[in-house]
Amino acid sequence: MCSLLRGEEMCLAQLFLQSGSAYDCISELGELGLVEFRDLNPSVNTFQRKHVNEIKKCEEMERILGYLLREVKKADISLPERDVNPVAPLPKHVIAIMEQLQRLEVELGEVTRNKEKLQRNLLELTEYTHMLRITRNFVQRSAEREPLQVQYEEFPFLEKDTMMDYSSMQRLGAKLGFISGLIQRTKIQAFERMLWRVCKGYTILSYAEVEDYLEDPDTGEPSKRVVFLISYWGDQIGQKVKKICDCYHCHLYPYPSNNEERNDVVEGLRTRIQDLHTVLLRTEEYLKQVLIKASESVYTWVIQVKKMKAIYYILNLCSLDVTNKCLIAEVWCPVNDIPTLQRALEEGSRKSGSTVPSFVNRIPTNDAPPTLIRTNKFTSGFQNIVDAYGVGNYREVNPAPFTIITFPFLFAVMFGDLGHGTIMALFALGMVLYENNRKLKNTRNEIWNTFFEGRYIILMMGLPCSERRCGRLLISMGIVFSLWIQMLREFFTGPYPLGIDPIWNLASNRLTFLNSYKMKMSVIVGIIHMSFGVVLSTFNHLHFRKKYNLYLVFLPELLFLLCLFGYLVFMIIYKWLVFTAKESRHAPSILIHFINMFLMQGDGVQPLYPRQTGLQLFLVVIAVLSVPVLLVGKPVYLYWLHNGSHRLGMYRGYERVRRNSEEELYLMRAHDMEEGSGHSDLSTSGERQKEEFDFGDEFLHQAIHTIEYCLGCVSNTASYLRLWALSLAHAQLSEVLWEMVMRVGLRMDTTLGVLFLVPVFCLFAVLTVSILLVMEGLSAFLHALRLHWVEFQNKFYSGTGIKFCPFSFSLLPSSFEHDGLL
Amino acid sequence: MAELSFNEDHGYLEGLVRGMKAGILTDTDYHNLAQCDTLDDMKLHLQSTDYGRMLSTSEEDLTVSLVDSKLRENLVTEFSCLRSNALPPLSTFLDYITYSYMIDNVVMLITGALKQRDVAEVLPRCHPLGAFDQMAAVGIARTPTELYSAILVDTPLAQFFQEAVSEDNLDEMEAEILRNKLFKAYLESFHSFCKSLGGATRDTMCPVLEFEADRRAFIITVNSFGTDLSGVDRSVLYPSCGKLYPEGLQLLTRAEDHEQVKAVAECYPGYKIIFDDPEPESGCKTLEDRFFEQEVKLNTLAFLQQFHFGVFYSYIKLKEQESRNIVWIAECVTQRQKSKIHNYIPIFK
Repeated sequence: MCSLLRGEEMCLAQLFLQSGSAYDCISELGELGLVEFRDLNPSVNTFQRKHVNEIKKCEEMERILGYLLREVKKADISLPERDVNPVAPLPKHVIAIMEQLQRLEVELGEVTRNKEKLQRNLLELTEYTHMLRITRNFVQRSAEREPLQVQYEEFPFLEKDTMMDYSSMQRLGAKLGFISGLIQRTKIQAFERMLWRVCKGYTILSYAEVEDYLEDPDTGEPSKRVVFLISYWGDQIGQKVKKICDCYHCHLYPYPSNNEERNDVVEGLRTRIQDLHTVLLRTEEYLKQVLIKASESVYTWVIQVKKMKAIYYILNLCSLDVTNKCLIAEVWCPVNDIPTLQRALEEGSRKSGSTVPSFVNRIPTNDAPPTLIRTNKFTSGFQNIVDAYGVGNYREVNPAPFTIITFPFLFAVMFGDLGHGTIMALFALGMVLYENNRKLKNTRNEIWNTFFEGRYIILMMGLPCSERRCGRLLISMGIVFSLWIQMLREFFTGPYPLGIDPIWNLASNRLTFLNSYKMKMSVIVGIIHMSFGVVLSTFNHLHFRKKYNLYLVFLPELLFLLCLFGYLVFMIIYKWLVFTAKESRHAPSILIHFINMFLMQGDGVQPLYPRQTGLQLFLVVIAVLSVPVLLVGKPVYLYWLHNGSHRLGMYRGYERVRRNSEEELYLMRAHDMEEGSGHSDLSTSGERQKEEFDFGDEFLHQAIHTIEYCLGCVSNTASYLRLWALSLAHAQLSEVLWEMVMRVGLRMDTTLGVLFLVPVFCLFAVLTVSILLVMEGLSAFLHALRLHWVEFQNKFYSGTGIKFCPFSFSLLPSSFEHDGLL
Repeated sequence: MAELSFNEDHGYLEGLVRGMKAGILTDTDYHNLAQCDTLDDMKLHLQSTDYGRMLSTSEEDLTVSLVDSKLRENLVTEFSCLRSNALPPLSTFLDYITYSYMIDNVVMLITGALKQRDVAEVLPRCHPLGAFDQMAAVGIARTPTELYSAILVDTPLAQFFQEAVSEDNLDEMEAEILRNKLFKAYLESFHSFCKSLGGATRDTMCPVLEFEADRRAFIITVNSFGTDLSGVDRSVLYPSCGKLYPEGLQLLTRAEDHEQVKAVAECYPGYKIIFDDPEPESGCKTLEDRFFEQEVKLNTLAFLQQFHFGVFYSYIKLKEQESRNIVWIAECVTQRQKSKIHNYIPIFK
């Protein structure tokens, strides 16, 4: 419990790692995740560090692994179960893994290249067949016209020619040349235009589309292609045509000179395509086998390489000692874990078989240690809420344990609805019960993850709702309970087990009553919450040994709050207790009394109780007096301490020798700083230096704090009225939904009405869940969050610490996960 | 008033480009890169920048040309992302940026064809930003007219060809002249386009383009010394949208040697510093480098204003300069020329 309240006690420790066993020791530590390493050579560039070559090797392996994973994914082979957690491989085993990986890469590369080549071949052959098939029609149609109308390539298409033998054309033009091939459909227009321009029309282009989609060998996407046939005169033009074809990435195929040849080629192609198909099939099978074999161990390798790389990163952070025999690492470690740390080091040394043990040595420091607050799956949600505002200073009071109680409470006040709360609690309960479900855990949906992470918060938020407050949802059933607390009970004749008397729903002044009641409740809750925050600050003052803060800061703050707003709470409760329902007509207004208290008049109004004016005067005077105390008390006291600190210095020097725990040192340093004399380098030289105490600075800070606090008391109290506002909004919204949707369905009294009720209820349910549960729930959550962050935490929590992030393999992200390969 | 609705169409891309600008290497990055001993070290360091795993995904051995092509690829990916999301005035603007690369590609292909190089050999060396469909066919043309009427008439470059059409046979000199003629037309057209856009785009882009025009004028003049290009021939090639127009250009036409060019530059404070102090020649800052330096300075200014297109142009140019820097450092690292390694041009100091 103490660790949840204050966080773990931390210490700075030096690890002396024998160079032979350093790797194993770090590996052990990485598995445990105990310590946070500090960089001992921050001035050295990444590529100048000691283990940069090993890291490069790891990166090379990662590259191959990435390649393997991509191939495996492409082949649609699922990776085996991922529950394995192999330890980091020993340096001597790394070479074996590396070799295996390289062999796999080479093999895979060869097979893939082969496969691609085969596929390309196949594509070419297919294209060739298409071309032969289609161009046959061109020739038959256009043969006769060609010699006559060279300029107009379209003309031959316009008329159906008489069938003519191909050989007759050969006789006509000895120099007639043909180029034929395939081109992307999108490019054919531009191709035709350029051909026309460059060759001045001395060519004939005929083309037709291939019906099938052919795969593009470069991109792998299926695309439409066009078969074309260019007939041209002369070699010069032929050169140009060829160049243009190149430019448009046409696939050119030899054009057979006569029909027999064509038939031969077609025949030959058919057999070759069949052969290729079988070979391709074989290759694919083989590829699949290789990949399946690789996929069995690829995940293990990924983990191993990741761990190894992390270890070398850590080793790069260490520095060598003078003798070059051992590495020195500096770590932050929880004090309680030091024995575990020692054991881990022993284990590491034993594994590597080194004779000289590695050991831990605590060293004193005056750096602020990082904050570690151990959480479990229940508290982590609430801790996250606090951390989102700011990570606490080292050993500062942590608001999280109180948030666990107050957060759901404030949420419930705003979301107060028995029915809705139950639905939400059930939803969260479902998530809690199935929290071990792999599918839920590993989902990538961010929104879902947010809810899942907060499942315990939602559960906690749902429960008090169902316990405490009312439901418009249940109005129809006549079991309307409303509102919170037992205090109200004597107000009514018969006490209700929970909530407000449902008969109020029929009263004409229902809203007036509920509003005034909720408003007062909000103020009461708010003042209690804030006072609690102020009281919590004493824990900090006492722990950090600033007793003077207790008298000079805490006391005036509390007096100011209680004398003004505490008195308001008193008046509210007093009025509830003293005035019964019958006298309520004559009950005085608290607001008027409160205003009069400040104006110091009130002779005109009837007092609430005897000697009211005197007491009020007294309270106001105390509150006003506490402001200057708060404003100047602390700076003046520190100034006095500073001027009289010469005598005190020796005493503290003695004290320091006696206590040697880091925390004490840290605290003392903070203490000294406050008093105006700090040590610049306490742990090493112990030399003391006077630090300038700046009274002006201190005073300015205190002035800001005072103004903030005093104004904050007013504005924060007003801020708690959001409890009332949101609760009202929720109630009204549910009522509107009920009136406008469900009522309409219920009003029909024929048998048809029953059928009509089904869609109406569906609509009602959907709207309830989406608006009342999700939207209103989020808004109530947001406001509860604000009340905690601003109104509660600014009373005692500074939240300027650094989070402890231990070196742990399980926390390291894998680069492949980022790419979505795993 | 254009600012009011600017974000409606181009806000996303401007935000994007400003975000990408934050990834431009800083002084410390260059400092670290300059300390590297091998290309692998550079790779390691570049991993910690926005380039990320760019270099580590390839299987081949690391060479300077691989670095160069990867950098280029990176730039093209970024540019095509911008281009594919751009809406009308911006998309034209971005197209204009690619035209300069297209001109360079065309001239390179022509010279390649003149030297009887295979097209397949020259094509990979073309800048991918200036790639277009008809590129491979450029080698067919023998005269500029043929080039225009047969091949480039469909491309956006056609609009710059009005003055460049001639019946002379294409040789290397002619190709160079063609390049300069095209660039002149291109710069003038881009300049007037930016002017027509108005607003902050005009305010930021016009100085940059004017500088570019003047730079070309200077470079043409300096390069023409010792060739048979006469002053009158030169004057046809000078872009007329720069600050030098018209008096400065007339003076340049008459210039005979480097000193006279320098005298012309003296009259313009912006260019005086570029030609100033040629003494520390040992510092081996060439004229070109100094122009680049000045260009970088001008381009960084574009980021001081909002709601204009200048940032896109400047980003591409700065990124290009950064690629040149990285390649320079890589070149020095591989050739062990540590003394020259600091001759890169830092971008955001």
